[in-house]
Amino acid sequence: MSGPLIAFYVISLCILGCAVLMLSFRKVIYMALAIGGVFVGCAAIYLLLGAEFVGVAQILIYAGAITILMMFAIMLTNHEATEPPFQWNARNVASAVGCILLGILILLVIRSTPWPQPDTSVDVNGGNSNPVAIGMALFKQYAIPFELVSLLLIVALVGAVILAQHRKEDE
Amino acid sequence: MWDWRSQPLTVPSVIAMLIGAVVILLLALGVVTYTIYVQRRILGWMQLRIGPNRVGPLGLFQTIADVLKLLIKEDVVPAKADRALFMLAPIIAFVPSFTVMAVIPFSAHNVFTANLGIGVLFYLALSAITIHGVMLAGWASNNKYALIGGMRSAAQMLSYEIPLGLSLVGVVLMAGSLNLNDIVLAQQHAGLWNVIPQILGFIVFLIASTAELNRTPFDLPEAESELVAGYHVEYTGFRFAFFMLTEYMYLFAMAGLCATLFLGGWSGPLLPGWLWFAIKVFLYIFFQFWLQATLPRFRVDQLMTFSWKVLLPLALVNLVLTGVVKAIW
Repeated sequence: MSGPLIAFYVISLCILGCAVLMLSFRKVIYMALAIGGVFVGCAAIYLLLGAEFVGVAQILIYAGAITILMMFAIMLTNHEATEPPFQWNARNVASAVGCILLGILILLVIRSTPWPQPDTSVDVNGGNSNPVAIGMALFKQYAIPFELVSLLLIVALVGAVILAQHRKEDE
Repeated sequence: MWDWRSQPLTVPSVIAMLIGAVVILLLALGVVTYTIYVQRRILGWMQLRIGPNRVGPLGLFQTIADVLKLLIKEDVVPAKADRALFMLAPIIAFVPSFTVMAVIPFSAHNVFTANLGIGVLFYLALSAITIHGVMLAGWASNNKYALIGGMRSAAQMLSYEIPLGLSLVGVVLMAGSLNLNDIVLAQQHAGLWNVIPQILGFIVFLIASTAELNRTPFDLPEAESELVAGYHVEYTGFRFAFFMLTEYMYLFAMAGLCATLFLGGWSGPLLPGWLWFAIKVFLYIFFQFWLQATLPRFRVDQLMTFSWKVLLPLALVNLVLTGVVKAIW
């Protein structure tokens, strides 16, 4: 067993552990923390695969900004936010069966797909460092979609401000 | 064994990484210990006091005595606090503050530096994780001062992270790389430290990093006179020590980042690289203590306005100017 493979299994175990914890916690703030753990674990997987930029962007945006946003929302709304204790009823049984079926389906699809073997002799970064390669792709090959996405984000941002302001004036 | 940067992960290289981490941890602890001592001496000097001078020659062992005192104190967890989070929060706050040391090149040969291609981004990303620790500490303490301190701290660190990040983009544009080693080499190659062409970015960086470190005049999260001590008011003993350690670890890391990005890192004439680095780090740290001794605290309503309406436009202007100059050259 090589080092990266062991690291992969350890990190995957951490991610799955955090995900299971997130589902089993009853307090919302614990859930936010567990989901932060999942995000950090995913970033570790990206780093392990050599995608430095994506890995760090994952930490910056998901583990940093989004988790903090969730915590802010939880703290500002309800201090004692807890879910009622779990009990089996028809709906829960149905969703459990659905989840198991979905899991089996996904497993079968993954198993039956022929995955292309990566050619390790080809440098996906084209001889540049990883962030340079991503910049080249974003600003040359995909310049127009990139600009459109930034436009969408601006519209969402301004829209959120306008919505929030409108409500204040009504009061 | 020691050149783990250029080879795949193996057992000896993992052991070498562990040894490297322990060496850097000891170095950082030593720096933090004497930063606190120097802070108290400088503040004493500026306020016409003597400062610590009892323990050891010139009071040199004062901080060690203080740390020992904190370690053997009773560890109190308030009865109404959220026990698990209360214990976890100092760890979440401390771990990133030490991890960011991995990307800072201490000397020309930087034996223990990770040479990450995205070093600058790595620093920014990890320092955002500390906000979780601070916020959770405030929330888990179940104390209104702690909660307000934690919220203030999170809001302040989040909003000042944006001008901080943007002020670094100018430097990255100059060097054409996010790698801290490459940025130092580019400055050495140009024969000019970034502080001169990037003077606007440097000013924004100085202000935003002071706010990011929660130091005077931006120490609102800890405002002793209004919030008692902010998010760590309920903490005692070694958990409190961890928060203090985080704070001073970040001071050291931010000083290292400032020296690397704007002051040429380890490059300089005559003296060896590590000494140049130490001098530049000390300059930044001294500047912080100087501010602490001479400036009053910001008002809470001025704080956010200043970040969003002054620093952010300045950082953007700097970015555009750098881009234009770079394109014309």
